[in-house]
Amino acid sequence: MLELNSQNKPESSSKAIVAEHLCKVFNVTKGFLRRTRTRIIAVKDVSFEVDYGELFGLVGPNGAGKTTTIKMLTTMLIPTSGNATVLGYNVQKDITRVREKIGIVLGGERGLYTRVSAIDNLRYFADLYGVPPTIRDKRVKELLQFMGLWERARDRVETYSKGMKQRLHLARGLINDPQLIFLDEPTIGLDPEIAKDTRSMIRDLVRKGKTILLTTHYMFEADELCKRIAVIRGGEIVALDTPSGLKKYVMDTSVVEIEGFGITDKEVAKFREIPEVLAVSADLSENKQVLKIQTPKGSEIISEVQEILKNSRIYDLKTKEPTLEDAYLRLVEGSIK
Amino acid sequence: MNIPKLIRIFFSSAVFSFKAQFEWLNPPMWLAMKFVMSLSQMAFFVFVGRFLLTADSSPAGITDLVAFIAIGNAIMMLSWNTIFSVINITSNDKWGGTLSILLATPTPRLPLFVGRAMIHVLDGMLSVAISFVFAIFLFGVNFGNADVLALLVVVFLTAFTMAGFGLLIGGLAFYYREPLVFANIFTFILLIFCGVNFPVQDLPQPLQAVSYIFPLTYGIDAGRKAIAGEPLVTIVPLLVQMSIVGLVSILLGYSSFRSFEHLARKTGRMEAE
Amino acid sequence: MPPQTLRVLYSAFRMAMLHWFADPQWVIPNVIAPFVFTFVALTLFKEASGSFGLYAVLGGGMMGMWGNTLYASGFAIDFERWQGTLEEVVAAPSNLLHVISGRSVSNALFGLTNMVAILLIAALAFRIPLGIANPILFALSIVLTLLSVSALGLIFASSFVLTRSAQVLTNGLEFPIYVISGSMFPIALLPFWVHPAAYILGPTWGIDAIRLATSPQYASQSFWAGTDVNVAIALNLAMTLLITLAYVAIAAFLFKKVETKSRREGTLVQA
Repeated sequence: MLELNSQNKPESSSKAIVAEHLCKVFNVTKGFLRRTRTRIIAVKDVSFEVDYGELFGLVGPNGAGKTTTIKMLTTMLIPTSGNATVLGYNVQKDITRVREKIGIVLGGERGLYTRVSAIDNLRYFADLYGVPPTIRDKRVKELLQFMGLWERARDRVETYSKGMKQRLHLARGLINDPQLIFLDEPTIGLDPEIAKDTRSMIRDLVRKGKTILLTTHYMFEADELCKRIAVIRGGEIVALDTPSGLKKYVMDTSVVEIEGFGITDKEVAKFREIPEVLAVSADLSENKQVLKIQTPKGSEIISEVQEILKNSRIYDLKTKEPTLEDAYLRLVEGSIK
Repeated sequence: MNIPKLIRIFFSSAVFSFKAQFEWLNPPMWLAMKFVMSLSQMAFFVFVGRFLLTADSSPAGITDLVAFIAIGNAIMMLSWNTIFSVINITSNDKWGGTLSILLATPTPRLPLFVGRAMIHVLDGMLSVAISFVFAIFLFGVNFGNADVLALLVVVFLTAFTMAGFGLLIGGLAFYYREPLVFANIFTFILLIFCGVNFPVQDLPQPLQAVSYIFPLTYGIDAGRKAIAGEPLVTIVPLLVQMSIVGLVSILLGYSSFRSFEHLARKTGRMEAE
Repeated sequence: MPPQTLRVLYSAFRMAMLHWFADPQWVIPNVIAPFVFTFVALTLFKEASGSFGLYAVLGGGMMGMWGNTLYASGFAIDFERWQGTLEEVVAAPSNLLHVISGRSVSNALFGLTNMVAILLIAALAFRIPLGIANPILFALSIVLTLLSVSALGLIFASSFVLTRSAQVLTNGLEFPIYVISGSMFPIALLPFWVHPAAYILGPTWGIDAIRLATSPQYASQSFWAGTDVNVAIALNLAMTLLITLAYVAIAAFLFKKVETKSRREGTLVQA
């Protein structure tokens, strides 16, 4: 454990994270001859709590405010209004305490010094996090071994594959043996094999007693890993429940899945106009087009489907039980509060 | 040869090049930079010269050391624009990833790149003008006898031929990782070789020959003569020599550009690593 | 200074060193201007007495130290941003000021090697005798000047981030500083209204000390002309130290501003 000379007592330590009405507004000024000011509301109003030892998921489409929320919770951004406590410490007042105790893995290709070796990267961050020199090198070695990077530890990070960089990222996030870890889209852009390994690593961490807040836009991942999930859309939380709880949103519906060819946006729009249709997801890009229609009508809608798609080709048509992904879809696309 | 098309390419690439440098530099800053750099480079060497004068010492054959230095630096200022900008733009292409796309088009190369260089020629002339203003009002250089028309021609021709040099170096931009390092070294070396602060004759014998490769050397010499009001007959030969050197460098630049393009295509070094 | 701060300083210093060795070609832009300026000055000073030559060589060395600091320190925070590591570094509980200070000292140290390189090359090429009258005071003057330059680098690092035009400012400030700091000629030659700008630059006093420690013949041009050489050196060093401490205080203030601004506007990532 880290030795800390902390005089500050935590405000309340019953919850790992308490977010209260977090809001973040950016004012962006562009141009020099004609200055335009745009107001971007990245996060409107987000409140939730996370228990100790929980694996909590924050899901939503791109631009919904997941990353901004994480950044506010990890002191990277100052909230425009609202507040949060992390491990009992106020993110705006006890900044150093928060930073000492959490781990942040923001993911992507960045966050590492590429012209320098993995072991130098970790040693550096270990020093920045105040890991005592007596245990620093030992911990660096353990982490690199745990991540399977020890053989290549002295190679420059720029020679690493994407998966290796991701693992090194994760190692860096754990360098201070944090109690609470924030993972922002940890498996994005990874090969399925590596993504699978990453997910099992995440499960291991929770088993060891860590608390984790995870953001992702892969619903199956959230379903697989998380105890509870908050769905965020347009800067607000539209639902917060366990995976099975969320599925209840779509319990009363079925999903009609159509595989076809020659389907255009016009037809998709027509589906959306049908009053009993709750949500439509369309993947019209590939040769195999897939349309998913959520509706309580179930197979009764098939005649309307055939009518609307009379000029297109239908290869396959199935009626299915809704999955968490469909629940998410409905929450994010549909008109649910 | 489709002349209107060539002219169109010429102008559009010139405008593009001009706008591109404002990506990271807004107009007030750009102008401020011009003023600051012109003044400080000139001031540095003028004061070094004045320091020397306190010892009653001066390079042989120079009656007004301050004027010598001031004019030399003033004209040299255009090198910053012409060489740096040409390299910057071509290397911006490389970094921006647009280079391979651009080269894939059937656009004729010469008007494309000459168009780009032109705007920097004008930019360079502006820098020289600003420097002349400083020379006159801050360092007391006498422009009373100046042949203004001759001076204008001298400055334009110098800028143009130096842009040609920029093309030559720009060709290197395709192949090496750090073209800006080249530009840097190159522009500073001009301070040593082109008779900017001391006559070429003051250099060690073997180095003097190098001076005559650069159009700037002739340009500065001609510029000093034009400002002193010396007769055209002394200036024109210098301009002719400079034009020849300039033409050679433009041709060399163009062909090295094509060969680097070819080489880059072969080795795949088109995009930034 | 608490051990943790020292550890952070050293770690940042070491990281900067590693990066220097990874990309040594960036030495060239930093040292090219001082080198060329020295060459030009030495050529101009060819016929003049030896003291001019040594003056130019010391000045060139000084500029070598400057050039690197401006260039590298000015970009110190931006460097983190380009690497994509700025958020991670800010996220760490260590003070950003300490992290960048470590880098800044590393840059100044390389500035020192630039200085030595220029001194040697210029002295050899132009046959300037490099005798140092007072080696201990010389070394001390160099160290203090180095620290002063590092501290100024910190101010550049933070203010360049606040104004978002680092590259422009680096290019723009380089030459004026060479002029104002009196590296290649006595400040007395500059118009009087420029003098205050010179006096607030710590290295201006530093180079005066360096010159005095090299050769007492420069005493007449020193700020403290008329006093004993050693006293003059001590006064210069005191001024340098004082100004350096002021720089550190200003830098600490600016860094806080930078961090707060970046956290408010989300500009820790490349916009």
